[in-house]
Amino acid sequence: MLEKILPEKFFKIISEKINFKAVNEIRLRADKPVVLNIGGKMFFLSESGVTNNAKIALYASKIIIEDVIFRASECSIYSVNEQIKKGFIVTDEGVRLGIGGNLIVENGQVKTMSNFSSCNIRIPHAIKNCSLTALPYILKGETVENTLVISPPGCGKTTFLRDFVGQLSERNLPLSVLLVDERGELDCGISSNYTDKICFSSKIMGFENGIRSLSPDIIVTDELGQNDDVAAVEYASRCGVKILASTHSESIESFMKKPLFERLIKEKIFKRYVLLSKRNGPGTFEGVYDENFSRIYFSR
Amino acid sequence: MKYVLIVVVFCICTYVGYLFSVKYTKRKKFFSALISFADKLSLEINFSRERLKVLVENFDEKQRKDLLGVDVAFLDFLEKKSELSSEVMFKKAEVLKTDEKDAILLFFKTLGRSDVENQTKEINTFVSKFSQMKATCEEEQKKYGSLSLKLGVVAGLFCAVIMF
Repeated sequence: MLEKILPEKFFKIISEKINFKAVNEIRLRADKPVVLNIGGKMFFLSESGVTNNAKIALYASKIIIEDVIFRASECSIYSVNEQIKKGFIVTDEGVRLGIGGNLIVENGQVKTMSNFSSCNIRIPHAIKNCSLTALPYILKGETVENTLVISPPGCGKTTFLRDFVGQLSERNLPLSVLLVDERGELDCGISSNYTDKICFSSKIMGFENGIRSLSPDIIVTDELGQNDDVAAVEYASRCGVKILASTHSESIESFMKKPLFERLIKEKIFKRYVLLSKRNGPGTFEGVYDENFSRIYFSR
Repeated sequence: MKYVLIVVVFCICTYVGYLFSVKYTKRKKFFSALISFADKLSLEINFSRERLKVLVENFDEKQRKDLLGVDVAFLDFLEKKSELSSEVMFKKAEVLKTDEKDAILLFFKTLGRSDVENQTKEINTFVSKFSQMKATCEEEQKKYGSLSLKLGVVAGLFCAVIMF
């Protein structure tokens, strides 16, 4: 996929001189060096591969950034404008481009974004069995416990959720899974025979429509972060649908202090909390906590 | 032998005249097809919001032939097989004038670069421009198209009379 969207020169260096599997992000900023996030560390892209010296780094220009975004939209910006309004594009292969530029706002509504000045290309990596350690603590007979995956950004929450859904399918559990995928990146790489999806809708709409029309046993969704998201979780819980979700937080302690989740914590809607970090690289599994935040498993 | 030569010379003159007249027909057909193409794009972008590649591929096969390979060059660009330049785009479209080529190239360069509203406005602006070009082509065809053919026939007859 990167071949289609990156300038030929950049792609050649990344594919030939760098361990591509370790690249998590490529950041392009107008008139700034191209930055690669490799295994959680930042490097500049250079003719010879990567460098820490900005003087010999390769630079991105505004034209390059515009072209990358144009290519990522399959040369049809108009067809992904709803995503662009939210600040990103997700390609069919699940590569997500976060976009920076000027938001065009009319009557208080975002109309589009123009004058693109930066983009952050996040490359999804399926890590088979990355949820395996947590699985026994989340599975409960033939169903699952309501579970929230907590980690700082870029620590593998989405990868964990994808693998978990795959694990459910591999075990042939008679569970219908609904992916409510606001950004269209959750579905990428999931090999499951029991999965429906609702993409590019808000969580509340996705949950309501999905529960009504697809009667799922489990709803999987990424990045709870707004009051509406919490309301969606409460609604699903009231309907008896299990939830597997994720959210950003540095630690369990900082998560517990967030007012947004106060009600969910108090009502003990989530029975399991899985903590991920970058301690030993993205996706480091730190432990599993129960609804009272007692650690029931921890990784050394 | 003499009569055969006369017939051959007459045919050659007529054919040259015909070739000149075909040039005008090709230009007219090109702009008709281009306007239909732009109209279809405008419509589909507003309703189906389908990707450009699909829209180009699904454009009426018969009219695509009149686009003189411009559509194929654009598809190659969409698939990152070639650049979007005048040399590549108008390889088979020698009948177009330089200013026409510039406008058409600009049209293709703006495709897919903005949201629905702006894209539609841009396309409509180009459609007006292309309509003017088409009108000029029609005038030229009326003026010079049939004239070239007639001149070819007359020149053929003239040569035949002299040779006779």
